[in-house]
Amino acid sequence: MKRLNIFIVILLIIAGCRLEAAPEAGQKGVKTFDVRGVVRQITDDRLKATIQHEAIPGYMGAMTMEFNVKDTNELVGISPSDQITFKLVVGENNSWIEGVHFIAHEIEDVTNNTFIIHYQSVELKPGDLLPDCAFMGEDGSTIHLSDFRGKAVAFTFFFSRCPLPDYCQRMSKNFSETRKLLLAATNAPASWQLLSISFDPGFDSPEMLSAYANAYRNGDTNHWMFAVASTNTLSGLAPRLDLMIMREGDNIMSHNLRTVVLDPQGRIFRQLDGNQWTPQQLADAILLAAHKTDEN
Amino acid sequence: MSRPASSKESNDERLFLIVAITMSLIFGTGFFLLMYTLNKREKDSGKAAEDSAPHLISPDHPRQLIDFSLTDRTGRSVTQSDLTGKILVVDFLYTSCSLTCPVVNRCMAQIQQLTTNQPDVKLVSLTVDPRDDTVDALAKYSERFGADTNRWLLLTGDKATLYDLIGNSFLAQDLNDPFNYMPGNFTHTERIALVDSHGKVRGYFDGLNDGTATAVVDEINHLRN
Repeated sequence: MKRLNIFIVILLIIAGCRLEAAPEAGQKGVKTFDVRGVVRQITDDRLKATIQHEAIPGYMGAMTMEFNVKDTNELVGISPSDQITFKLVVGENNSWIEGVHFIAHEIEDVTNNTFIIHYQSVELKPGDLLPDCAFMGEDGSTIHLSDFRGKAVAFTFFFSRCPLPDYCQRMSKNFSETRKLLLAATNAPASWQLLSISFDPGFDSPEMLSAYANAYRNGDTNHWMFAVASTNTLSGLAPRLDLMIMREGDNIMSHNLRTVVLDPQGRIFRQLDGNQWTPQQLADAILLAAHKTDEN
Repeated sequence: MSRPASSKESNDERLFLIVAITMSLIFGTGFFLLMYTLNKREKDSGKAAEDSAPHLISPDHPRQLIDFSLTDRTGRSVTQSDLTGKILVVDFLYTSCSLTCPVVNRCMAQIQQLTTNQPDVKLVSLTVDPRDDTVDALAKYSERFGADTNRWLLLTGDKATLYDLIGNSFLAQDLNDPFNYMPGNFTHTERIALVDSHGKVRGYFDGLNDGTATAVVDEINHLRN
């Protein structure tokens, strides 16, 4: 009898452990709500966060209150005035927040207890200085945009696997034509440079770049370089130039077309969007930009 | 419970304890693994079902159509109040998008056709690339899909207005995805959103799924009842 008792006790302990190990999930009486709010205060140990939150339908109205934090790691990098989404879990005897996600820094507007996030554009306009950035060139060396100070620079984006003739391929053909026009122009200064930048760093190695480039350059590398941008460079550059790139599969990217002319000081002189511009328009813009040195 | 025990009995007891603990551990582990496997299988089958049949995906948090003022592809100004009381089917596009957007918009065209005699339903397409997607560009694009100028509004305008609307009312943002440089970093731009006549976002359907058009229409009928 006693042996049986011990056996049962051990079984119960194990069963108990299992119950303990699966607390909130599926337990009756526990409710979970998806909530959005703005962090107002976080304790030093991150165990408690004061959040101004939107109304929680079926539970409570919009208010500012302190919540227990289940996993303090989720608050690393989050600070007061950040907007977050989180799950509020309400059990019988306690409640806490989990699944905290950062949405945006600072909110600007609260109407009807709904936070309106205002998009903050970093997009540059003509006249703005483009912050320097680095690319890898055809020989594997590093190219900085600032290397071209003193020259008018026209750059565009492509990826060598791009299958569409009216996208990347048209950009490369237009650059080729533009170069011909500028080399033939009698009034052209020597201070200009074309740069084609790949946004496919996983595929466009220096060798791929050279092979692709030579198909358009006819063996003449004068005034026209090819380079590839790292994901890091792109994450800074793309939003500034309104360049959009979206992976749609392992080998294919959907993207828009942005061609930019910088003046010799590295400021944006002209933006040619899409694929409707002509080589003559680009050549004219480069000449105007290059002459800005002469004037200054 | 305590009583003097002979040494044989206590040896016996110790042996039994060891056997009992071992057995319990084996049974306990087995039981745990069984539950884990069952649980996992349940989840996996749920996931498989998720992949095939289109179904309403809930918003990440309660979302409501906010105020906006944009321009449609005929040059008309369109504000939130123009759409009050309508059930809205909303997608997100940019005309230079080569793969997903045409698929999603063919689905929108199908929904337009399936709701032909339902004046309380309007379709809305929001561009994420307003610098390229001017009124003219959208007009040209919409012809490809046979969009009815009164029922399917393709909207462009100030980028900040568009992004405020998309970000607040519809799509989540992922600022850490290294392969997503869409300005605004919106995620799931391939989804089709459904907004009820009170401006509440009911959820999303996968715009790349073949069955989505009929699923959206079913959900619209469900909304009316």
